Amino acid sequence: MRTGAAAGHHGYYHEAIRYASDDELLAVVVPFLLGGAEAGEPTFVALGERTGGLVRSALPAGAPVQFLSGGDVYARPAGAIRSYRQLLAEQLAAGAGQIRIVGEMPPASFGATWDWWARYESAINHAYDEFPLWSMCAYDTRITPPWVMADVARTHPRFATADGRHVPSPTWTPPAEYLRENRPIVADPAQAQPPAVELVDPTAAEARAAVRKADHGQVPVDEVEDLVVAVSEIVTNALRHGRPPVRLRVWAGDDRILATVSDGGEGPGDPFCGLLPASDGTPGGLGVWITYQSCNHVTWQRGDDGFVLRLTAGNTYVG
Amino acid sequence: MISRERQAVPGGHVCWTYDDPESLADQAERHLAASLAAGERFWYITPQPSDQVAERLRALPDFAAAARRGAAAVVPLVATYSPEHVVDPATQVAAYAAATDEALAAGHTGLRVVAEATELVRTPAKLDVFTRYEHQIDRYMRTRPFAAMCAYHRPTLGDRAVTELACMHPQTNVEGLLFRLYAVAPEDGHAALAGELDMSNHELFRTALDRADLRPTDGELVLSAADLRFLDHRALTHLAEYARQRGATAVLRTPRSSAARLVDLLELPGVRVEVTP
Repeated sequence: MRTGAAAGHHGYYHEAIRYASDDELLAVVVPFLLGGAEAGEPTFVALGERTGGLVRSALPAGAPVQFLSGGDVYARPAGAIRSYRQLLAEQLAAGAGQIRIVGEMPPASFGATWDWWARYESAINHAYDEFPLWSMCAYDTRITPPWVMADVARTHPRFATADGRHVPSPTWTPPAEYLRENRPIVADPAQAQPPAVELVDPTAAEARAAVRKADHGQVPVDEVEDLVVAVSEIVTNALRHGRPPVRLRVWAGDDRILATVSDGGEGPGDPFCGLLPASDGTPGGLGVWITYQSCNHVTWQRGDDGFVLRLTAGNTYVG
Repeated sequence: MISRERQAVPGGHVCWTYDDPESLADQAERHLAASLAAGERFWYITPQPSDQVAERLRALPDFAAAARRGAAAVVPLVATYSPEHVVDPATQVAAYAAATDEALAAGHTGLRVVAEATELVRTPAKLDVFTRYEHQIDRYMRTRPFAAMCAYHRPTLGDRAVTELACMHPQTNVEGLLFRLYAVAPEDGHAALAGELDMSNHELFRTALDRADLRPTDGELVLSAADLRFLDHRALTHLAEYARQRGATAVLRTPRSSAARLVDLLELPGVRVEVTP
């Protein structure tokens, strides 16, 4: 049995909040959370430190609302999907009729890594749709760039407003369509230099060696190893499922290592590839998902001359 | 530390492939010299006791002197393996065990052989049985003073067969071999994996594991992976499945934590990664 605006809705009821003041945020979030608490629904907050504190002090003492650490949840999109899906599955198994969550991405996501967070916001319409979830994603319009707000409008079916309404988003675009588009990719300044290594049609072993060669201790060992795993998977995919030439370029930045893998093909057919483990046996889907889980940023681009993934280990350029 | 050193120098079991018999003769001479210096008994085993290598050895004064006191011999292949050249792994290991004991009883420090074994792997069926035997004898070598260089003529066998043989040895001269599976001392687990495991050698890895026929103890199949530079999710998944079929959990001991993260990520049951310092 679902309550509130999502009553009667099947699956995921996904909303965005556009707020320009703390009062506006609280006007939406407090009734949303209290409504969940009153209905006995598991109710979660995954906001940043400041806004989370704001909400906490606006709630009555002892309100049955659980606070998650927003920063940890939103480290990587595929990781966020995985941990939210685990949380939702647990709540559903425990008999929840509806789960309520309000979340907010760290402002660092609105820069050069926005492309994969935009894909996240779109993909979750599908990834969480098997759960009776009502969630609100909060965006502070004072600090969120307009192009991010445009993507928010396209990836959320509706907005929750301060005066208690739930209005459809006119530019809402279903994920299967949105995820097939290219997102604008911000060039990493480290790529201004020629790559440290460039290989054409390398074996996976040669590709792994190229990544290790770019490791001068500027990136923690674990992250280098995870990048080695990721590059190996992506090159293996490109060799098996893509079209020649497969090209690997590796840049050694001051505090990061970047790798691009391109091939002449069209890339994975599954629009959710990377963000969700391939459930339909999409060739290479598991390797891309592992890559999304283990790199600090992955960009995805399909062009006339092929398909390219860029993988980052170490400190991601956030722009 | 002792364990690590033992892994770094896995007791002499070398897969040596050659195109030119002269290069095999060079190796045989080298092993003869090392063997005599170490007080071992040395055998060169060959299907043709008058082959080029045997003749070169016999012409060596050191060999002749050692032969007179029973420290060196050219042994015909039929005398050590079955006449049909099909090996029964258990029988053959027992034969070398007896020969090692004899060498020790005769006052030598052990037995070392250079065996020209091309004849024994010339068909896919023979190759399959012989590679199984290779792992069994490899295991024997980790506990007893027996060492071997198995020589294979590459042009006769082809690269695929040579690769299948080489990956069952701790040491080899085969270039571009990406991974090896070999025996370890019992206290170090059930086998060692070295090199890199990815899509390109996944089938070879599966075949090698099947041929090694590892037997878990106490519900665990312990793999020493100190020298394994890389393994992918396919290899991990297969290890878990292999162990499960043998009623065990696979335990991978590796200094690389990425394998542990992959197991967590994939929520792989049946495999545990122990990250070693």
